[in-house]
Amino acid sequence: MGPTPDSERTERGPADVETEAATAGDATTTTDAATAAALVGDDLTVGYATTDEPVVTCDHVVLPTGEMTALVGPNGSGKSTLLKALAGQLEPWTGSVRFDGDDVYEMGAKSLARSLALLTQDGDTPGSLTVEELVRHGRYPHRGFLETLSESDHDAVDRALAVTGIEQLRETELGSLSGGQQQLARIAMTLAQEPDVLLLDEPTTFLDLRHQLGVLDAVRELNRDHEVTVGVVLHDIAQAARYADNLVALRDGTPYDWGPPEDVVTEELLAEVFGVAATVREGPEIVPHRPLE
Amino acid sequence: MAAKTDSVASLRRLGWLDPTLVGFCAVSVALTILAGLIQVRFGTFPMSFATAWAAVSDPAVWLRPNVLATLLLGEGAASALGFTTAYDLAKPTLIVWSIRLPRVLVAMLVGLSLALSGAIFQAVTKNELASPFILGVSSGAGLAILLTLVAFPALSTLLPVTAAVGGTLAFLVVYAIAWKGGTSPVRLVLAGVIVGTVLNSLQTALFFFAGDVGTVQQAVAWTTGSLTGVDWEQVRMLLPWVVLVVLPGTALGARQLNVLLLGESTASALGMRVERTRFLLSGIGIVAAAASVAVAGIVGFVGLIVPHMVRTVVGTDHKRLLVGCAFAGPALVVVADTVARLFFPVVFGSPTQLPVGIVTGLVGGPYFLYLMRKRQQLGEL
Repeated sequence: MGPTPDSERTERGPADVETEAATAGDATTTTDAATAAALVGDDLTVGYATTDEPVVTCDHVVLPTGEMTALVGPNGSGKSTLLKALAGQLEPWTGSVRFDGDDVYEMGAKSLARSLALLTQDGDTPGSLTVEELVRHGRYPHRGFLETLSESDHDAVDRALAVTGIEQLRETELGSLSGGQQQLARIAMTLAQEPDVLLLDEPTTFLDLRHQLGVLDAVRELNRDHEVTVGVVLHDIAQAARYADNLVALRDGTPYDWGPPEDVVTEELLAEVFGVAATVREGPEIVPHRPLE
Repeated sequence: MAAKTDSVASLRRLGWLDPTLVGFCAVSVALTILAGLIQVRFGTFPMSFATAWAAVSDPAVWLRPNVLATLLLGEGAASALGFTTAYDLAKPTLIVWSIRLPRVLVAMLVGLSLALSGAIFQAVTKNELASPFILGVSSGAGLAILLTLVAFPALSTLLPVTAAVGGTLAFLVVYAIAWKGGTSPVRLVLAGVIVGTVLNSLQTALFFFAGDVGTVQQAVAWTTGSLTGVDWEQVRMLLPWVVLVVLPGTALGARQLNVLLLGESTASALGMRVERTRFLLSGIGIVAAAASVAVAGIVGFVGLIVPHMVRTVVGTDHKRLLVGCAFAGPALVVVADTVARLFFPVVFGSPTQLPVGIVTGLVGGPYFLYLMRKRQQLGEL
């Protein structure tokens, strides 16, 4: 998977992306035994009721178990749409999404939510709710219609608060928290679901740099220490390259490239996908220069 | 040890029942009792407060199951159950229990239904300016009332039924209009406005065809909401819906409403089937609103201001909010109806009674003016 000429890159078919996925999987076997795919999308075309054309067409996409995968791409490239489809929240027009072999659109909504959590971009955080009350809602899929919170529910809430490091804010109302703290509280809510897979849709948007890093650190720690498979939409490719094990770069609703950051992040990718002239240094570290015409 | 964990668990479970909420409910109960007592004291048969209280708490009623059963179930049902329906009561007791108290009870039930219904609709539409009548119920019921009075006067004994059916049908039309592969709060509210506008025009048009002033007055009383002349029959009509549908429905729905407040996408990601939940919750709200329309007509503003007032005191958690509404709603309507019934007779000595909806409207307007001045933003929940 060395550097390839521009022409070859742009003309590559989906089969190549698939091959690359397999290669990337092989590459990680040295560090991690678990390379099974937690979430697989096949032959997807995804769109909305209001669109005539699909927003995303994607022949194959994989979130490998125990790894952190970032979906990157410019605005309107369909990364959030793809994430929604993978999360079981937007049924694709064609194709299938499988979690551990089961079609997510045939699983019950609650049983899906016990295995797979999604942090949405447009969620509301009612100001008078306390952090603990919000996090408790994460137990929703675990509770029956009439069940009250059990001890195991309370334990899960406590663990979620501890992992995200906001135990001291337990009794604080969301309205008096900073954006970053609110986002951590929402992440804690998804953790209280005790999911195997956590999907996050632009979790760092509207946060200042310090809180962006705080949120991403928390997510990576979850992934490393608690073996949660993570899929995250990020618009900052530099951050994605720093934090993720794999990148899926999307352009105009199709995956352009797939693999570990050091392979995916190249100067021609930044030019082709993001329309930016940039220098890529060791790391990979990106030094952007100017937008391309 | 086990006992200790139990008590910790029960503390956690009842942690939401804090002094603010309990105090708020206590004040509401006190207001309800006070207004209720004033309501039963005054009337064409004069009595003192002491007599009124003695009549309300008369052991001759409370300790005799056959008297309670006859009042509550009606003579037919009570005698069918084997109760003797013939009994003697002191005159004040008889007047209070057979004429004045049922009106207070209906006012309480109407207040309860409208307040809970309002709280549900505000959460479902995510708009704190929503009311039980926002999804077409009031305009549908109003049109049905006018149609019955003007076009089918023979059916006017069925007015409660036609009103409730009209309201429910209008709600279903609103839902159908709002549906496009799913609904959303905004679409629901807009569809409600569309249906409301059309039905209200039709209502106004029907007024031109009303034959006599009596019909028009009856129609106005229904469309503004009035408790004049309500009886135990109305209690019997309303109580089963409240006890069997509205109260259990809201008790079960509280947590769903809380999750809905996190936004549709979050609720769905948590495993809620949002459309189904929203429709069922709206259904409970409609039953509550339609049942109260059936006995009292369209009493405005109660379902709008009560949840609002309660929210400013106890917060947005629906467990607390719904409990608060269940106490504050009855208090507001009983107080308002006391004013509606007694203001003209007591102040001017004229026998005119106002429809209670006029009083709630007169209270509701200034309350929102106060809110508008005081709060930075109003609207989205």
